[in-house]
Amino acid sequence: MLKVKSSAAYRIAITYSAAFALAVVLLGAAMYQVADADFRRQQDGLLKQEAANLAQEYDEGGLPDIVSAIETREAGSSIKAFGYALFDHSGRRIAGALDTARPTLGLGMIAFRDPIEGPDSARADARDLRDGYRLVVARDTEIMEGIDRTIVLLFGSAFVLVIAFGVVGALVLGGYLQKRLDGISGVARAIMSGDMAQRVPVGVRGDEFDAAGAALNTMLDRIGQLMDNLRQVSSDVAHDLRTPLLRLRNQLEQVGTVEGAAARAIEQGDAVLALFAALLRIAEVEGGGLTRSFVLADVSALTIDIAESFAPAFADGGRRLTWSVAPGIAVLGERELIAQALVNLLDNARLHTPPGTRIEIRLVADDRTAQLSVADNGAGVPVADHARILQRFARGEASRTTPGNGLGLSLVAAVAAAHGGSVAVADNDPGLCVTLTFPKVA
Amino acid sequence: MHVLLAEDDVETAGFIADGLRALAHGVTHVTTGDAALQATIDGSFDAVILDRMLPGIEGLEVLRQLRARSNRVPVLLLTALGGIADRVDGLDAGADDYLVKPFALVELAARLNALARRSSGADAPTRLEVGDIVLDLLRRDVTRAGRTVYLQPREFALLEQLMRHAGRIVTRTMFLDLVWGFHFDPQTNIVESHLSRLRTKLREGFTDDPIETIRGSGYRMRVDA
Repeated sequence: MLKVKSSAAYRIAITYSAAFALAVVLLGAAMYQVADADFRRQQDGLLKQEAANLAQEYDEGGLPDIVSAIETREAGSSIKAFGYALFDHSGRRIAGALDTARPTLGLGMIAFRDPIEGPDSARADARDLRDGYRLVVARDTEIMEGIDRTIVLLFGSAFVLVIAFGVVGALVLGGYLQKRLDGISGVARAIMSGDMAQRVPVGVRGDEFDAAGAALNTMLDRIGQLMDNLRQVSSDVAHDLRTPLLRLRNQLEQVGTVEGAAARAIEQGDAVLALFAALLRIAEVEGGGLTRSFVLADVSALTIDIAESFAPAFADGGRRLTWSVAPGIAVLGERELIAQALVNLLDNARLHTPPGTRIEIRLVADDRTAQLSVADNGAGVPVADHARILQRFARGEASRTTPGNGLGLSLVAAVAAAHGGSVAVADNDPGLCVTLTFPKVA
Repeated sequence: MHVLLAEDDVETAGFIADGLRALAHGVTHVTTGDAALQATIDGSFDAVILDRMLPGIEGLEVLRQLRARSNRVPVLLLTALGGIADRVDGLDAGADDYLVKPFALVELAARLNALARRSSGADAPTRLEVGDIVLDLLRRDVTRAGRTVYLQPREFALLEQLMRHAGRIVTRTMFLDLVWGFHFDPQTNIVESHLSRLRTKLREGFTDDPIETIRGSGYRMRVDA
């Protein structure tokens, strides 16, 4: 379960806390440097000031004054702020308790002997007075080292804490991410092994994982639909081709013995070819990629042209075709496809209604869409079948015996989808009304 | 008419060549794009039937090179690709017509005739005259034996195509293409319903029908009328 090394989540969390730790170290080092230098400067200033004060005592009152001043300071100070030593010209210490050899002039480190702790080192300022005396004022470095130690300790523990928090955080966060992602990979594996029904669990919080999961589920639904569609189409093609091919075979068998058999066989062959042409056209439209040839198509003019072209044929069959077309409606699309969609709707209206039926084409538009509908007052289609008749090879029970391959409306649906529109089937009470909706160009 | 046929599929080529020879056309058959280009350099043809997918130089490229050389011979592009974009590509490359496989031989022959006539005939007549029928393209009117025949716009367009191809077959798909711009076949026979109205109007007051139906093929304007 815990694949710490290979887990991106752990790697990210650990890298993040390591960066924090590094920042703590850099901050600590900088602070140490600055504080240490500052303390040293302050200490050197104090040392110089004290030495200058004592030198002034000597200047004003000679040896007795400075000796008494040193003794007063050594006796008075409860904390040993400074150590003192006064040497004469021979190098002998004549005052002060600081047990050290006569040092060189100026600021520097000296070695001394602490009466309790033994040999030690201190920061000292040595200066010469008149008559060969040399004054040494020293200050223990212990205080400063203590401060330095405190800084190191402080930042050291901060560093350890950051690392510790980082590791714990990385484990918790990594585990959490791993758990969420394992849910997705688990579903992916289940689907790979054939269980298409599996879906990614989506929580109620709507976080990034839920959003990704929801998107994946939508994708899976779509793929599922496409797969179903494909399965359906393959079996339908096989099934629906069998009948016309069998008829073709029977016609061919009669050639030479029955009159007109050859012509009927050719007709039958044409029907099979038309079925394939329709399937290929649907595949072309559904395959997309047509948008590059889309131009502004005047749907109003196109609709009137088709309506006028179809009216005589409808009249010949005893039906009446009327149309009401709003002028100047343009759609971004492929003229021929829109024409074919409308033609298919008209073919359907003519083939699946009895003589005497009235069929009306309507083209209207609002601000955003253009709606092209073909309505009839024929027998209609049961509401339960409305969604189904848009699918490939779907045929209403009533149309089993009429010509057609069940592909007309699925091409209409594909054309609508390719243009970013939709198709709706509604009851015209009585009859059927199919409406194509296209996004309109202003 | 002498036709160059560039088609690599032996069976299809045989079917086309036999059919065209039976209609008394001369056929030169080549199987590669290179040979097709060479043939158009060596000889002169009334029309070229060019398959889109040829070995060597492919069909569209042959067509482009042909046009680049200012060879205006009518070219009918033959293809298994029936997509809308494929058609546009073919016509853009300089094809005069585009026929999607599979097709009936009568369709091919009718289209070839139309192509050859288009390229050889007077280029833009404003008046067509066949027998006692006169069609004026500028005034958009039709007379038969001097008497005006009132036609609807689509009837006029159908008659115009029949008269342009007088004596030759015009198929249903040619009408759909030339009059409506459709490259698909509606199940409703809009060609027939308009044609029957046209024929009724032309026949009114006369005993003979200047248009004849060629069963299983299309329609033809009589020239002997």
